[in-house]
Amino acid sequence: MAAPDQVAAVAPRNTPFIVLAPPSWLALISLASVLTILALWAAATTFGWVSPLFLPSPVDVARAAAKLASNGDLWRAILASSARVFAGFFLAAAIAIPLGVAMAVFGPVRAMFSPLISLLRPLPSITWIPLTILWLGIGEQQKVMIVFLGSWIYILLATYEATRRVDPLLVRAARNLGAGDFTVMREVILPGALPGILAGLKVSLAIAWSCVLSAEMIAARSGLGALIWEAKEWGDMTVVLVGMTSISLTVLLADAVAGRVELVLQPWERARRRH
Amino acid sequence: MSAILTAEHVTKSYPVPGGEMVAIRNLSLDIAEGEFLCLLGASGCGKSTMLNMFAGFTAPTTGRVLLQGRPITGIEPRCGMVFQSYALFPWKTVQENIEFPLRMRDVPRSERRAIASSLIEMVHLDGFADRYPGELSGGMQQRVTLARCLAADPLVMLMDEPFAALDAMTRQVMQDELLRIQERSGKTIVFITHNIDEAIILGHRIVVMSARPGRIRTIVENPLPRPRHVGVQTSHAFADLKAELWAQIEEEVMQHVAASRLAEHA
Ligand SMILES: Nc1ncnc2c1ncn2[C@@H]1O[C@H](COP(=O)(O)OP(=O)(O)OP(=O)(O)O)[C@@H](O)[C@H]1O
Ligand SMILES: [Mg+2]
Repeated sequence: MAAPDQVAAVAPRNTPFIVLAPPSWLALISLASVLTILALWAAATTFGWVSPLFLPSPVDVARAAAKLASNGDLWRAILASSARVFAGFFLAAAIAIPLGVAMAVFGPVRAMFSPLISLLRPLPSITWIPLTILWLGIGEQQKVMIVFLGSWIYILLATYEATRRVDPLLVRAARNLGAGDFTVMREVILPGALPGILAGLKVSLAIAWSCVLSAEMIAARSGLGALIWEAKEWGDMTVVLVGMTSISLTVLLADAVAGRVELVLQPWERARRRH
Repeated sequence: MSAILTAEHVTKSYPVPGGEMVAIRNLSLDIAEGEFLCLLGASGCGKSTMLNMFAGFTAPTTGRVLLQGRPITGIEPRCGMVFQSYALFPWKTVQENIEFPLRMRDVPRSERRAIASSLIEMVHLDGFADRYPGELSGGMQQRVTLARCLAADPLVMLMDEPFAALDAMTRQVMQDELLRIQERSGKTIVFITHNIDEAIILGHRIVVMSARPGRIRTIVENPLPRPRHVGVQTSHAFADLKAELWAQIEEEVMQHVAASRLAEHA
């Protein structure tokens, strides 16, 4: 019989990463876990388990962070890195999403681009640094280019997969109800692929951050990567840790924003979110 | 009565690992215009497969499927489908799902609203217009699918166990509603069911299919008077027809059960 267990067939197959509004006790566990890490770190440094030369204490890091924040250096660095990430990331999304959908839907496009992608996929963004410096110097363009090169393939692959996995039954249903190609694309394939595309974007955003940092560490005068690298030259591990923590927090914030965007773009996911 | 939908020596086989599975073998059937035809058969006997060919979702391996005398070559919007697995758009609300076929026909917004509202009321989903399918029970989703097909107002309605997920009460109400719609509109309906009672309540003719490969075992004319009402279930004629049908399909069902037992133990 067509039993209620077929309800599942209606749901999009790829459940995206959803930012759950967790029950308060889940939040408490998370808080406790963060506090434990901080406590271990503090204990390790105060009781001399590790030398402050190798690992500065959290208090020192906080103090350095406050100083860098008050003189504006920290904010400038975060802003510089963020600007590069977002420029490169949006460029990548703008190209990779349409291309990924086209590859999933049109065989010839797939045939044309898949060899190129197979060749480029294994290359980490860092391997592009010599060439991009040669082409673009060490300015903003080069950083944006590195972010672009490091993230577009992941966005493309996620988009391609998500589009391929749209339930063919829904495409049939739409055509059976009189829809043409354009409507099928806009009202079935794109919304069907959206959860997977957004999930891919979130993963790629974190990758984009790691790209910009490696580019900045090798050649830049601004940004969080440069801040860390310069501090390392001075042997100032406190500032290195300030930089690292700032990266974590910034990416965390970007992720939370992305989660909100997901919520707004996919109101139908609210049903699943409530469970 | 002229045939609106025809299957001519239709055979359908699916490729499976190590060969092919014949789902339907040499099935021929004429469906008259305005007829309410019930396809009755055990699970896996090829009912959905046959319906999918009428809708143009898959082509017969050999033989032809015709709509008004012309071969069906692609997805055929004139043969509207009520899907066994609902196939609602998860990103559209109940209202938007039902309005979808109306938008495809460029029905003006206010008219769409009105049609959708009356259909929502008809399938007893008042107050759920703005819910998403994921927020509905299986039976509720099934009624949305039915409403969406009715909104599309196709020439032929292909219904794949449209009431299977409903409780007995709601099922009766929906059967009555469907009988009235069919009576009023004279639409051709091909209706799949496992349920003998349902086939007798609804069908003008009942096609009993045999399993693996799917063939027509027998076609029974339903002598029960029309316009019909679900209350017909208490009549003697109903009981007689049921006994006759049961005798016809008992063997088929038993075979099927035995086969699936075997498969389970394999
Ligand atoms: N796409 C497919 N590929 C391979 N085999 C298939 C496919 N679709 C159906 N079949 C097979 O064809 C046979 C008939 O399937 P079908 O879905 O038509 O059965 P049904 O009569 O609708 O059953 P139910 O009442 O359970 O819905 C089954 O044995 C099934 O395994
Ligand atoms: Mg079926």
